[in-house]
Amino acid sequence: MIVGEQKTIAEIKEIIAPYSRVLVLGCGTCVKTCFAGGEDEVATLTSALRLAYNKDAKQISLEEFTVERQCEDEFIQEASAAISRNDAVLSLACGAGVQAIAKRFYKVPVLPGVNTTFIGMLEKHGLFTEECLGCGDCKLAVFGGICPIARCSKKLLNGPCGGSQNGTCEVDPETECAWQIIIERLTSLKQLDNLKKYIAPKDWRSSNAGGPRKLVREDHII
Amino acid sequence: MQPNITIFHCINTFADGNFLPVGDNVNCELNMVKLPCSGMVKDVFLLRAFESGADAVIVMACPEGECRHVEGNIRAQKRVEWTKKILDEIGLDSRRLTLVNISPGDVNSAIDAIQQTISSLADFIPNPPATVRETAVA
Repeated sequence: MIVGEQKTIAEIKEIIAPYSRVLVLGCGTCVKTCFAGGEDEVATLTSALRLAYNKDAKQISLEEFTVERQCEDEFIQEASAAISRNDAVLSLACGAGVQAIAKRFYKVPVLPGVNTTFIGMLEKHGLFTEECLGCGDCKLAVFGGICPIARCSKKLLNGPCGGSQNGTCEVDPETECAWQIIIERLTSLKQLDNLKKYIAPKDWRSSNAGGPRKLVREDHII
Repeated sequence: MQPNITIFHCINTFADGNFLPVGDNVNCELNMVKLPCSGMVKDVFLLRAFESGADAVIVMACPEGECRHVEGNIRAQKRVEWTKKILDEIGLDSRRLTLVNISPGDVNSAIDAIQQTISSLADFIPNPPATVRETAVA
């Protein structure tokens, strides 16, 4: 899933400052799971903003609404009426959701309330870890399902750097050494020979280094 | 004008907080919200209590290690800490929100917590919704 983190209240107040009627629009998919922009977070943020504006003796109208998924037009349409009642939309979706709203409602300012951070997984309740960079050329089969691009601080493809200590990365001791995990996993899978193959330098054109990417599924396009 | 305090309490601390026998010991308006477990408390509930005019909010949870639902009181503590950060961020002083661990039926500790909260209210800036409430009543 896409992991995001809500911006600070101070930054959000600055972003919405020019507007007097703001729709706080949540997304019920990825950002809900990472506690950044679901229905609950919309309610909490709106309540906190109301308290903050009350304290500053400022008047602002804040409306709450959450759609199932902000990156899909058919879900976005449910918010049409609420969007039309307001001067601006503070979207608590990921960057894709913010832009989907902006594309659909061309004349309405759409403002981000969340910093989209990475593609990750729920390691345990409340802890999210980055697992994928979306590089567009997956090699997980070689590395036993552990991605050295996303999880090795140096993005090494042909073995460990030798700097890890007790299974942790020398760049950040809070990070597990991806290569330690790769070797342990391949050993248990009896696939350690995978690492005898030379992996050529990565061609980053399949990632966003080659410009904005598109995925076309001809069988679904009419 | 009496201070307004909202108390979220686990039903295992008091079966029904409305019967908390505060008597003349406590000079405040109490709004009691009972929860099946203190772990049910959420940041938005606490913030909305302040929005509704509470001068202070107290969460009454079972002592650590005594939660009937194992970790509800620990979750309540975490959520209170999280909400305190929000209150500080918006400049409302997080000290107006507290969590106290109270053994089942320990009325004296509950009254102590309320009295301590009332005496500390003088140090805080007024909660604007509470000021509005006061003006409306006046």
